[in-house]
Amino acid sequence: MNKVFLILVLIVCFACSGEENTYVEISENKKLDFPQPDFFPQPVYNLEENPPTEKGFELGKKLFYDGRLSSTGVISCGFCHVQEFSFTHHTHEVSHGVDGALGTRNAQPLMNLAYFEEFSWDGAAQHLDSFSIIPITTDTEMNETVSNVINKLKSDQVYSELFAEAFNNGEVNTQNMFRALSQFMVMMVSADTKYDKVLEGNSVFSEEESAGQSLFEAKCASCHKGILFTDQSYRNNGLSIDPRYNDIGRERVTGLEEDKYKFKVPTLRNIAVSLPYMHDGRFQSLKEVLDHYDSGVEPTQNLDPSLQQENNLGISLTETEKNQLISFLNTLTDDNFLLDRRFSEF
Amino acid sequence: MKKIICFVLISMLAVSCKDDDTIETTSIEISFANKINSQNIELNTGVYQTTLGESYSINELKYIISNISFIKDNGEIFTYPVEDSYFLVDEEVPSSKIISLENIPVVNYKKIKFGIGVDQSNYPLNDVDNFVPTAEESLMHWSWSAGYIFFKIEGEYSSTGDQPDENFLFHIVSHGTNLDNYKTVELSSNFGFDLTENKLISIEADLSKLFNAVYDIRIEDKPDIQVDPVNAPKIAENVSQLFSSVPFSSTE
Repeated sequence: MNKVFLILVLIVCFACSGEENTYVEISENKKLDFPQPDFFPQPVYNLEENPPTEKGFELGKKLFYDGRLSSTGVISCGFCHVQEFSFTHHTHEVSHGVDGALGTRNAQPLMNLAYFEEFSWDGAAQHLDSFSIIPITTDTEMNETVSNVINKLKSDQVYSELFAEAFNNGEVNTQNMFRALSQFMVMMVSADTKYDKVLEGNSVFSEEESAGQSLFEAKCASCHKGILFTDQSYRNNGLSIDPRYNDIGRERVTGLEEDKYKFKVPTLRNIAVSLPYMHDGRFQSLKEVLDHYDSGVEPTQNLDPSLQQENNLGISLTETEKNQLISFLNTLTDDNFLLDRRFSEF
Repeated sequence: MKKIICFVLISMLAVSCKDDDTIETTSIEISFANKINSQNIELNTGVYQTTLGESYSINELKYIISNISFIKDNGEIFTYPVEDSYFLVDEEVPSSKIISLENIPVVNYKKIKFGIGVDQSNYPLNDVDNFVPTAEESLMHWSWSAGYIFFKIEGEYSSTGDQPDENFLFHIVSHGTNLDNYKTVELSSNFGFDLTENKLISIEADLSKLFNAVYDIRIEDKPDIQVDPVNAPKIAENVSQLFSSVPFSSTE
C-alpha cells in the first residue's frame, strides 16, 4: 500500500510536467563568445535574439562566399568584400556586379558591424539582418531575388543539413539565411590595432604618430568620433557632384532636401587598406583625401557647417600635418583581423 | 486515512491534466473587397471621379495587411501569431483577397485590429523576414532600401475629369527611421465579430476615400508619390481610413 501511495504522489507530481524541457540544446552547436573589446560601447545588434553559434557562423561564412547568391552564380558577397582590404573591393571605385555591371557606390568595409545602427552609405537599411537584401537584389550587384536564393539553398543537401544544425527550427528560410549571415558578420570585430594597444598601455606612439593624433583630435574627431571613429551621422563633406551618378545620398532614404548629398561618416579603422575612398571611391590615397579637406571642399548644398567656418572652406593642413595625420591613421590597421583565418574564404 | 489521501490523489490526477479553460478554436476567413461607389473596382477599365473633379483609373492595387488581433468586450486582446500575420492583398489575384487564419478562440469579438504595412519593431525580426519572398514576387519590396512597400496604387488620371491618360503612382513606405508610415486600423461593428455564429469576416476598402478621407489629394499636384515626407504621410493617413466591416456577403 505504501508503495502505491508513493507512486501516486510521484505520478501527480510529474503528470503535468510534459510541457517543460522541450528546449534541448543541440550539443554540437556551441554558442560563440562575442569578442567584446574593453573600450567599445555595448553592441547595437541584439546578440541574445540571434546569438552567434559555431554552426550558424559556419553557415553564414559559406553563404558569404557562395556565388550562388547571385543570378550568374559567380558573384558572392566576398567578391566585393575582400578580407585583406578590410572587406572592401580593393582598387575598385564602385562595386562591380554580375556580368561586369558597375554600381554607383564604393563597397564599404565590414567590421565592428555589431556597433552600427544603420547600414549602407545612406542608411537605407536599419538592421544588419535586412541589409544583405540590397546587394543580393540590386541589378548591378548580385541581381538575384531572395526567393530564388532560398530555392537554390533548399535544393542543396549540404545547406539543408547546415540550416538544420544551426537553427532550432532547422528551416531553410529567409530569416535563418539572414541571421546566419549576421552571425558571421557580427563576429568580425576589429580592435587589435597599435592605437588600441596604446590605449591599453601596451605600446607607444612615435613622435609623428603622436603629433598626428593631436591633429586628428583637433580637426577630425568631431565627425570621426570615439572608439569607432565615426559618430554614425550623415554629412556632406564638400565633394564635387559627379554628374555620372548625381548621387543625392541620404535624401533618397528620407526624401528631405536637407539630406541631399549627405553620406554616412565612415569608420576609419583599417582605413589605410580600404582604399579607394569616399562613397564613390574617387580618391586613391589618404593623401588625396587630406588634400580634398585642405583645398578641395566645394560649397555644395548642405555642406557640413564644420567645413565652412568664417568663410574658409575645408580644414587647412600643411604638408607636414598631412604626413603626421597619415602616420596616425596607419596605426588604425588591424593586421590580425585582416588575416584572421576564421573569416577567410580558404 | 491513507485511503482518503489516496482518493484525493487519484482525483487530483484525474483532473490535473485537463485544461480547465479549454477554449474552442476555429479557422476563419477575412475577405477584403476593394470598392468604389459600393461596386468592386474594375482594374484598367473603370473610370472614377475624385471630389476635386479629377478622373482616374486603377491598373494596380496592392497592400500589406499585418499584425491582426481581435479585441473582446472586456478589452482583452487575442493577437494572431506575428510570424503568420503578414498578408499581401492584390486586387488582381482573387485568392489574395481572402485571408485564412487558424486557431482563433471562438468568442464574440467586439473589434478587429490590423496593420497596413510592416511595423519597424518587427522588421526584420520575429520571422517577418520570411514574408520577403512573397512581397518580392509581387514587387512590394524595394531592393535599394531592403524595405517593404506598404501600399501601392498605380493608374492613370486626368486633371480635368476627362478620359484618364496621364500616369500616377503612389508607393507608400517608411522612410528609414525618420518617418514611419505604418498604420493600424481598428474596426468595430454593430453586429460584432461573433465567431460562435460566423467564421467569416468581411471588410471593405472604399478606394474613393484615398483622395479625401482626411486630406484632399489632387493627383495633378504630385502624380508620383514615393519617398516624399510631405505627401506620403497624407496618403498613408487616408489609406488608414479606407476600411470598414460589413455583414458578410459573398461579393466576389
